[in-house]
Amino acid sequence: MTETLDVETEVPEKASQEGEMYTWHEGMEWNPVERIILERRSVRKYKDKQVPEKLVRRILEAGRFAPSAGNSQPWKFIVVRDREMIEDMEKYVRLRCKVLKFMLNWQTSPLGKFAWLYSQMGARLMPNLMHPIPFGATALIADGKLKLFHGAPTVILILMDTRGAAKPPVDVGICGQNMILAAHSLGLGTCWVGFVEVFKFGTKWNKKLGVQWPYRLVEGIALGYPVAKPDGMIERELQEVDWWEDGRKRTVF
Amino acid sequence: MAYLTFKERTTIPTYDNPEHGTSGRVVIDHERCNGCGNCALICPGDCLYVAGVGKHKKCYMIDKAFPDCMSCNDCQAICDRDAIRVSVTYDFGYFYKILHRGELAYPRNF
Ligand SMILES: Cc1cc2nc3c(=O)[nH]c(=O)nc-3n(C[C@H](O)[C@H](O)[C@H](O)COP(=O)(O)O)c2cc1C
Ligand code: SF4
Ligand code: SF4
Repeated sequence: MTETLDVETEVPEKASQEGEMYTWHEGMEWNPVERIILERRSVRKYKDKQVPEKLVRRILEAGRFAPSAGNSQPWKFIVVRDREMIEDMEKYVRLRCKVLKFMLNWQTSPLGKFAWLYSQMGARLMPNLMHPIPFGATALIADGKLKLFHGAPTVILILMDTRGAAKPPVDVGICGQNMILAAHSLGLGTCWVGFVEVFKFGTKWNKKLGVQWPYRLVEGIALGYPVAKPDGMIERELQEVDWWEDGRKRTVF
Repeated sequence: MAYLTFKERTTIPTYDNPEHGTSGRVVIDHERCNGCGNCALICPGDCLYVAGVGKHKKCYMIDKAFPDCMSCNDCQAICDRDAIRVSVTYDFGYFYKILHRGELAYPRNF
Protein backbone atom coordinates (compact mmCIF):
# COMPACT_ATOMS: atom_id res chain seq x y z
CA MET A 1 0.00 0.00 0.00
CA THR A 2 2.54 2.56 1.12
CA GLU A 3 4.83 1.50 -1.69
CA THR A 4 2.28 2.24 -4.41
CA LEU A 5 1.70 5.67 -2.88
CA ASP A 6 5.41 6.44 -2.97
CA VAL A 7 5.60 5.61 -6.64
CA GLU A 8 2.61 7.80 -7.42
CA THR A 9 3.80 10.89 -5.58
CA GLU A 10 7.25 10.86 -7.14
CA VAL A 11 7.20 13.33 -10.02
CA PRO A 12 9.11 12.03 -13.01
CA GLU A 13 11.94 14.33 -14.14
CA LYS A 14 10.43 14.85 -17.60
CA ALA A 15 6.94 15.79 -16.44
CA SER A 16 8.37 18.50 -14.22
CA GLN A 17 9.80 20.12 -17.34
CA GLU A 18 6.52 20.18 -19.18
CA GLY A 19 4.69 22.85 -17.23
CA GLU A 20 2.16 20.81 -15.33
CA MET A 21 -0.53 22.50 -13.28
CA TYR A 22 -0.68 23.39 -9.57
CA THR A 23 3.04 23.41 -8.96
CA TRP A 24 6.07 25.53 -9.71
CA HIS A 25 9.75 24.83 -10.24
CA GLU A 26 12.11 27.60 -11.23
CA GLY A 27 12.38 27.90 -14.99
CA MET A 28 9.67 25.35 -15.73
CA GLU A 29 7.77 25.50 -19.00
CA TRP A 30 4.53 27.52 -19.16
CA ASN A 31 1.53 25.63 -17.91
CA PRO A 32 -1.63 25.61 -20.08
CA VAL A 33 -3.26 28.54 -18.24
CA GLU A 34 -0.13 30.69 -18.51
CA ARG A 35 0.18 29.81 -22.16
CA ILE A 36 -3.34 31.01 -22.93
CA ILE A 37 -2.70 34.24 -21.03
CA LEU A 38 0.64 34.90 -22.70
CA GLU A 39 -0.28 33.81 -26.22
CA ARG A 40 -3.65 35.58 -26.43
CA ARG A 41 -3.54 38.33 -29.01
CA SER A 42 -6.30 40.60 -30.22
CA VAL A 43 -7.71 39.04 -33.37
CA ARG A 44 -8.70 41.42 -36.16
CA LYS A 45 -9.54 39.10 -39.06
CA TYR A 46 -12.15 36.36 -38.80
CA LYS A 47 -13.44 33.55 -40.97
CA ASP A 48 -17.08 33.65 -42.04
CA LYS A 49 -17.86 30.45 -40.16
CA GLN A 50 -20.28 31.03 -37.29
CA VAL A 51 -19.38 29.91 -33.77
CA PRO A 52 -21.70 27.15 -32.48
CA GLU A 53 -24.32 28.47 -30.06
CA LYS A 54 -23.29 26.04 -27.32
CA LEU A 55 -19.70 27.26 -27.51
CA VAL A 56 -20.81 30.84 -26.97
CA ARG A 57 -22.98 29.72 -24.07
CA ARG A 58 -19.98 27.98 -22.56
CA ILE A 59 -17.87 31.14 -22.86
CA LEU A 60 -20.59 33.17 -21.13
CA GLU A 61 -20.28 30.76 -18.20
CA ALA A 62 -16.68 31.94 -17.72
CA GLY A 63 -18.05 35.48 -17.42
CA ARG A 64 -20.77 34.49 -14.97
CA PHE A 65 -18.18 33.16 -12.50
CA ALA A 66 -15.90 36.19 -12.56
CA PRO A 67 -15.10 37.82 -9.22
CA SER A 68 -16.79 41.16 -8.49
CA ALA A 69 -16.73 43.60 -5.61
CA GLY A 70 -19.33 42.57 -3.04
CA ASN A 71 -20.36 39.80 -5.47
CA SER A 72 -22.52 42.46 -7.09
CA GLN A 73 -22.05 40.98 -10.61
CA PRO A 74 -22.66 44.37 -12.21
CA TRP A 75 -22.96 43.09 -15.79
CA LYS A 76 -25.46 42.11 -18.41
CA PHE A 77 -24.60 40.42 -21.69
CA ILE A 78 -26.07 41.00 -25.12
CA VAL A 79 -25.11 38.50 -27.80
CA VAL A 80 -25.45 39.61 -31.42
CA ARG A 81 -25.07 37.01 -34.17
CA ASP A 82 -27.17 38.70 -36.81
CA ARG A 83 -24.80 39.63 -39.62
CA GLU A 84 -26.98 42.43 -40.88
CA MET A 85 -27.19 43.95 -37.42
CA ILE A 86 -23.42 43.73 -36.94
CA GLU A 87 -22.93 45.37 -40.35
CA ASP A 88 -25.36 48.14 -39.34
CA MET A 89 -23.38 48.80 -36.16
CA GLU A 90 -20.20 48.98 -38.27
CA LYS A 91 -21.75 51.56 -40.57
CA TYR A 92 -23.15 53.58 -37.70
CA VAL A 93 -19.85 53.77 -35.87
CA ARG A 94 -17.98 54.62 -39.06
CA LEU A 95 -20.34 57.52 -39.73
CA ARG A 96 -19.97 58.83 -36.19
CA CYS A 97 -16.20 58.54 -36.46
CA LYS A 98 -16.34 60.61 -39.64
CA VAL A 99 -18.14 63.33 -37.70
CA LEU A 100 -15.63 63.11 -34.85
CA LYS A 101 -12.76 63.27 -37.32
CA PHE A 102 -14.30 66.33 -38.96
CA MET A 103 -14.71 68.06 -35.60
CA LEU A 104 -11.39 67.19 -34.02
CA ASN A 105 -8.73 66.07 -36.48
CA TRP A 106 -6.83 69.28 -37.17
CA GLN A 107 -4.57 67.49 -39.64
CA THR A 108 -7.39 66.83 -42.09
CA SER A 109 -10.46 68.81 -41.02
CA PRO A 110 -11.62 71.78 -43.12
CA LEU A 111 -12.29 73.43 -39.76
CA GLY A 112 -8.51 73.84 -39.42
CA LYS A 113 -7.67 75.95 -36.38
CA PHE A 114 -11.10 75.31 -34.84
CA ALA A 115 -10.55 71.56 -34.95
CA TRP A 116 -7.21 72.18 -33.23
CA LEU A 117 -8.97 74.16 -30.53
CA TYR A 118 -11.72 71.57 -30.06
CA SER A 119 -9.18 68.76 -29.82
CA GLN A 120 -7.09 70.65 -27.28
CA MET A 121 -10.20 71.29 -25.21
CA GLY A 122 -11.38 67.73 -25.71
CA ALA A 123 -8.09 66.27 -24.52
CA ARG A 124 -8.41 68.23 -21.30
CA LEU A 125 -12.03 67.26 -20.72
CA MET A 126 -11.73 63.62 -21.85
CA PRO A 127 -8.03 62.76 -21.70
CA ASN A 128 -8.71 59.04 -22.02
CA LEU A 129 -10.91 59.19 -25.09
CA MET A 130 -8.62 61.77 -26.70
CA HIS A 131 -5.49 59.72 -26.02
CA PRO A 132 -3.45 59.69 -29.25
CA ILE A 133 -4.18 56.02 -30.00
CA PRO A 134 -8.00 56.13 -29.95
CA PHE A 135 -7.72 59.54 -31.61
CA GLY A 136 -5.80 57.95 -34.48
CA ALA A 137 -8.10 54.92 -34.53
CA THR A 138 -11.14 57.19 -34.91
CA ALA A 139 -9.66 58.52 -38.15
CA LEU A 140 -8.80 54.99 -39.31
CA ILE A 141 -12.38 53.82 -38.70
CA ALA A 142 -13.73 56.92 -40.46
CA ASP A 143 -11.54 56.09 -43.48
CA GLY A 144 -12.60 52.43 -43.46
CA LYS A 145 -9.06 51.27 -42.62
CA LEU A 146 -9.96 49.80 -39.24
CA LYS A 147 -13.15 47.88 -38.59
CA LEU A 148 -15.31 47.94 -35.49
CA PHE A 149 -15.84 44.18 -35.05
CA HIS A 150 -13.26 43.07 -37.63
CA GLY A 151 -15.74 40.83 -39.45
CA ALA A 152 -16.47 38.64 -36.40
CA PRO A 153 -19.68 36.58 -36.75
CA THR A 154 -20.52 36.83 -33.02
CA VAL A 155 -20.35 39.87 -30.77
CA ILE A 156 -20.81 39.96 -27.01
CA LEU A 157 -21.73 43.37 -25.64
CA ILE A 158 -21.13 43.92 -21.93
CA LEU A 159 -23.38 46.35 -20.14
CA MET A 160 -22.42 47.61 -16.73
CA ASP A 161 -24.92 48.02 -13.92
CA THR A 162 -23.93 51.51 -12.77
CA ARG A 163 -25.23 50.71 -9.27
CA GLY A 164 -22.63 47.97 -8.77
CA ALA A 165 -20.67 47.77 -5.53
CA ALA A 166 -17.53 49.89 -5.27
CA LYS A 167 -15.92 49.99 -8.75
CA PRO A 168 -18.12 48.25 -11.35
CA PRO A 169 -15.92 49.08 -14.40
CA VAL A 170 -13.16 46.95 -12.87
CA ASP A 171 -15.60 44.05 -12.45
CA VAL A 172 -16.72 44.34 -16.06
CA GLY A 173 -13.11 44.16 -17.21
CA ILE A 174 -12.42 41.05 -15.18
CA CYS A 175 -15.62 39.42 -16.40
CA GLY A 176 -14.77 40.14 -20.02
CA GLN A 177 -11.22 38.86 -19.72
CA ASN A 178 -12.52 35.64 -18.17
CA MET A 179 -14.62 35.05 -21.29
CA ILE A 180 -11.78 36.06 -23.60
CA LEU A 181 -9.29 33.65 -22.06
CA ALA A 182 -11.85 30.86 -22.10
CA ALA A 183 -12.56 31.58 -25.77
CA HIS A 184 -8.88 31.39 -26.78
CA SER A 185 -8.45 28.17 -24.84
CA LEU A 186 -11.36 26.75 -26.89
CA GLY A 187 -9.75 27.62 -30.22
CA LEU A 188 -11.47 30.94 -30.90
CA GLY A 189 -10.10 34.42 -31.42
CA THR A 190 -11.38 37.56 -29.72
CA CYS A 191 -10.90 41.30 -29.68
CA TRP A 192 -12.01 43.81 -27.11
CA VAL A 193 -14.00 46.56 -28.80
CA GLY A 194 -14.01 49.73 -26.74
CA PHE A 195 -15.25 51.67 -29.75
CA VAL A 196 -18.84 50.69 -28.95
CA GLU A 197 -18.49 53.82 -26.80
CA VAL A 198 -19.36 55.71 -29.97
CA PHE A 199 -22.95 54.44 -29.66
CA LYS A 200 -23.42 57.06 -26.97
CA PHE A 201 -23.17 59.83 -29.58
CA GLY A 202 -26.70 59.02 -30.66
CA THR A 203 -29.81 57.19 -29.50
CA LYS A 204 -30.29 54.54 -32.21
CA TRP A 205 -28.41 51.63 -30.72
CA ASN A 206 -29.19 52.21 -27.08
CA LYS A 207 -32.85 52.19 -28.12
CA LYS A 208 -32.60 49.16 -30.38
CA LEU A 209 -30.56 47.15 -27.87
CA GLY A 210 -32.66 48.30 -24.95
CA VAL A 211 -29.76 49.80 -23.05
CA GLN A 212 -31.23 51.95 -20.31
CA TRP A 213 -30.62 52.97 -16.73
CA PRO A 214 -29.18 51.44 -14.61
CA TYR A 215 -27.19 49.90 -17.45
CA ARG A 216 -24.50 51.46 -19.59
CA LEU A 217 -22.85 49.81 -22.56
CA VAL A 218 -19.13 49.71 -21.77
CA GLU A 219 -17.36 47.15 -23.93
CA GLY A 220 -17.81 44.76 -26.80
CA ILE A 221 -16.04 41.49 -27.52
CA ALA A 222 -15.63 40.25 -31.09
CA LEU A 223 -15.69 36.46 -31.24
CA GLY A 224 -14.91 34.04 -34.05
CA TYR A 225 -12.49 31.73 -35.80
CA PRO A 226 -9.31 33.61 -36.66
CA VAL A 227 -7.76 33.85 -40.11
CA ALA A 228 -4.15 32.54 -40.01
CA LYS A 229 -2.57 32.07 -36.56
CA PRO A 230 -2.71 35.39 -34.72
CA ASP A 231 -2.03 34.06 -31.21
CA GLY A 232 1.54 33.83 -30.01
CA MET A 233 4.06 35.18 -27.57
CA ILE A 234 5.56 38.56 -28.35
CA GLU A 235 7.87 41.16 -26.88
CA ARG A 236 6.38 43.86 -24.67
CA GLU A 237 7.86 46.54 -22.45
CA LEU A 238 9.07 45.48 -19.03
CA GLN A 239 7.26 47.24 -16.20
CA GLU A 240 9.11 49.04 -13.46
CA VAL A 241 7.97 47.53 -10.17
CA ASP A 242 8.54 48.99 -6.70
CA TRP A 243 9.40 46.06 -4.45
CA TRP A 244 9.26 46.56 -0.67
CA GLU A 245 10.97 43.94 1.44
CA ASP A 246 13.24 43.84 4.49
CA GLY A 247 12.40 47.46 5.30
CA ARG A 248 13.61 48.95 2.03
CA LYS A 249 12.50 49.58 -1.51
CA ARG A 250 14.06 48.06 -4.59
CA THR A 251 13.18 48.58 -8.22
CA VAL A 252 12.73 45.48 -10.28
CA PHE A 253 11.75 45.00 -13.92
CA MET B 1 12.14 57.33 -12.46
CA ALA B 2 10.82 60.83 -12.82
CA TYR B 3 7.15 61.71 -13.08
CA LEU B 4 5.81 64.68 -15.06
CA THR B 5 6.97 68.27 -14.71
CA PHE B 6 4.34 71.00 -14.44
CA LYS B 7 4.89 71.92 -18.08
CA GLU B 8 4.45 68.32 -19.19
CA ARG B 9 1.29 67.91 -17.15
CA THR B 10 -0.30 70.96 -18.67
CA THR B 11 0.76 70.47 -22.30
CA ILE B 12 -1.22 68.26 -24.65
CA PRO B 13 1.31 67.04 -27.22
CA THR B 14 0.70 67.56 -30.90
CA TYR B 15 0.26 63.97 -32.01
CA ASP B 16 2.19 64.39 -35.24
CA ASN B 17 5.05 66.54 -34.00
CA PRO B 18 8.34 64.61 -33.90
CA GLU B 19 9.64 67.05 -31.31
CA HIS B 20 6.94 65.98 -28.87
CA GLY B 21 7.14 62.25 -29.23
CA THR B 22 7.11 59.25 -31.44
CA SER B 23 4.70 56.60 -32.68
CA GLY B 24 5.50 52.91 -32.76
CA ARG B 25 7.94 51.48 -35.31
CA VAL B 26 8.64 48.01 -36.59
CA VAL B 27 11.68 46.48 -38.28
CA ILE B 28 11.19 43.91 -41.01
CA ASP B 29 13.81 41.35 -41.91
CA HIS B 30 13.49 41.04 -45.70
CA GLU B 31 15.68 37.94 -45.72
CA ARG B 32 12.94 36.13 -43.82
CA CYS B 33 9.76 37.88 -44.99
CA ASN B 34 8.00 36.10 -47.87
CA GLY B 35 5.35 38.76 -48.36
CA CYS B 36 2.48 36.56 -47.17
CA GLY B 37 0.69 39.72 -46.00
CA ASN B 38 -0.79 38.34 -42.80
CA CYS B 39 0.71 41.15 -40.73
CA ALA B 40 -0.68 43.80 -43.07
CA LEU B 41 -4.08 42.10 -42.91
CA ILE B 42 -4.39 42.39 -39.14
CA CYS B 43 -2.42 45.56 -38.31
CA PRO B 44 -4.82 47.75 -36.33
CA GLY B 45 -2.95 50.88 -37.41
CA ASP B 46 -2.98 50.13 -41.15
CA CYS B 47 0.80 50.64 -41.04
CA LEU B 48 1.97 47.71 -43.15
CA TYR B 49 1.73 46.84 -46.83
CA VAL B 50 3.14 44.27 -49.21
CA ALA B 51 4.85 45.22 -52.47
CA GLY B 52 6.86 43.50 -55.19
CA VAL B 53 6.33 40.26 -57.10
CA GLY B 54 7.51 36.68 -56.70
CA LYS B 55 10.67 36.38 -54.66
CA HIS B 56 10.74 40.13 -54.19
CA LYS B 57 7.31 40.31 -52.58
CA LYS B 58 8.01 41.83 -49.16
CA CYS B 59 6.28 43.67 -46.39
CA TYR B 60 7.01 47.34 -45.63
CA MET B 61 5.97 49.91 -43.06
CA ILE B 62 4.17 52.89 -44.56
CA ASP B 63 6.40 55.90 -45.07
CA LYS B 64 4.95 58.40 -42.60
CA ALA B 65 6.51 60.40 -39.80
CA PHE B 66 3.68 59.20 -37.56
CA PRO B 67 2.24 55.87 -38.65
CA ASP B 68 -0.68 54.79 -36.41
CA CYS B 69 1.47 52.04 -34.89
CA MET B 70 0.60 51.32 -31.26
CA SER B 71 3.54 48.93 -30.84
CA CYS B 72 1.15 46.06 -30.08
CA ASN B 73 3.40 43.48 -31.78
CA ASP B 74 0.34 41.66 -33.13
CA CYS B 75 2.30 41.59 -36.40
CA GLN B 76 5.11 39.74 -34.63
CA ALA B 77 2.61 37.24 -33.25
CA ILE B 78 1.02 36.41 -36.60
CA CYS B 79 4.29 36.24 -38.57
CA ASP B 80 5.33 32.59 -38.72
CA ARG B 81 8.71 33.52 -40.22
CA ASP B 82 9.88 35.67 -37.33
CA ALA B 83 10.43 38.51 -39.79
CA ILE B 84 8.82 41.48 -38.06
CA ARG B 85 8.95 43.03 -34.62
CA VAL B 86 8.45 46.33 -32.85
CA SER B 87 11.66 48.35 -32.56
CA VAL B 88 10.28 51.58 -31.08
CA THR B 89 7.30 51.76 -28.73
CA TYR B 90 5.02 54.77 -28.89
CA ASP B 91 5.42 57.75 -26.59
CA PHE B 92 3.61 60.94 -27.53
CA GLY B 93 5.21 62.95 -24.76
CA TYR B 94 4.06 65.71 -22.41
CA PHE B 95 0.67 64.87 -20.86
CA TYR B 96 0.78 61.39 -22.38
CA LYS B 97 4.43 60.71 -21.57
CA ILE B 98 5.04 57.02 -20.90
CA LEU B 99 6.13 56.24 -17.35
CA HIS B 100 7.85 53.38 -15.60
CA ARG B 101 8.59 51.05 -18.50
CA GLY B 102 11.67 49.13 -19.49
CA GLU B 103 12.88 47.61 -22.71
CA LEU B 104 11.01 45.07 -24.81
CA ALA B 105 11.19 41.47 -23.66
CA TYR B 106 9.44 38.17 -24.30
CA PRO B 107 7.62 36.52 -21.37
CA ARG B 108 10.24 35.32 -18.91
CA ASN B 109 9.61 31.97 -17.27
CA PHE B 110 11.14 32.61 -13.88
C1 LIG C 1 -10.83 47.75 -22.95
C2 LIG C 1 -10.23 47.51 -24.29
C3 LIG C 1 -10.80 48.07 -25.43
C4 LIG C 1 -10.26 47.81 -26.68
N1 LIG C 1 -10.87 48.34 -27.79
C5 LIG C 1 -10.41 48.00 -29.03
C6 LIG C 1 -11.10 48.46 -30.18
O1 LIG C 1 -12.10 49.17 -30.11
N2 LIG C 1 -10.62 48.07 -31.39
C7 LIG C 1 -9.52 47.28 -31.52
O2 LIG C 1 -9.16 46.95 -32.64
N3 LIG C 1 -8.84 46.85 -30.42
C8 LIG C 1 -9.26 47.17 -29.19
N4 LIG C 1 -8.60 46.71 -28.06
C9 LIG C 1 -7.45 45.81 -28.22
C10 LIG C 1 -6.13 46.50 -27.89
O3 LIG C 1 -5.74 47.31 -28.94
C11 LIG C 1 -5.08 45.41 -27.62
O4 LIG C 1 -5.47 44.68 -26.48
C12 LIG C 1 -3.69 45.95 -27.37
O5 LIG C 1 -3.20 46.57 -28.54
C13 LIG C 1 -2.72 44.85 -26.97
O6 LIG C 1 -2.64 43.85 -27.96
P1 LIG C 1 -3.01 42.32 -27.65
O7 LIG C 1 -4.43 42.32 -27.16
O8 LIG C 1 -2.86 41.61 -28.96
O9 LIG C 1 -2.05 41.83 -26.62
C14 LIG C 1 -9.11 46.98 -26.81
C15 LIG C 1 -8.54 46.44 -25.66
C16 LIG C 1 -9.09 46.67 -24.41
C17 LIG C 1 -8.47 46.03 -23.21
S1 SF4 D 1 3.62 38.11 -41.72
FE1 SF4 D 1 5.86 37.96 -41.74
S2 SF4 D 1 6.35 36.90 -43.65
FE2 SF4 D 1 4.22 37.60 -43.84
S3 SF4 D 1 4.37 39.61 -44.85
FE3 SF4 D 1 4.39 39.99 -42.64
S4 SF4 D 1 6.56 40.08 -42.08
FE4 SF4 D 1 6.42 39.11 -44.10
S1 SF4 E 1 3.03 46.71 -33.80
FE1 SF4 E 1 0.80 46.59 -34.10
S2 SF4 E 1 0.27 48.59 -34.93
FE2 SF4 E 1 2.49 48.41 -35.13
S3 SF4 E 1 2.83 47.59 -37.19
FE3 SF4 E 1 2.69 45.80 -35.83
S4 SF4 E 1 0.54 45.20 -35.86
FE4 SF4 E 1 0.66 47.28 -36.70
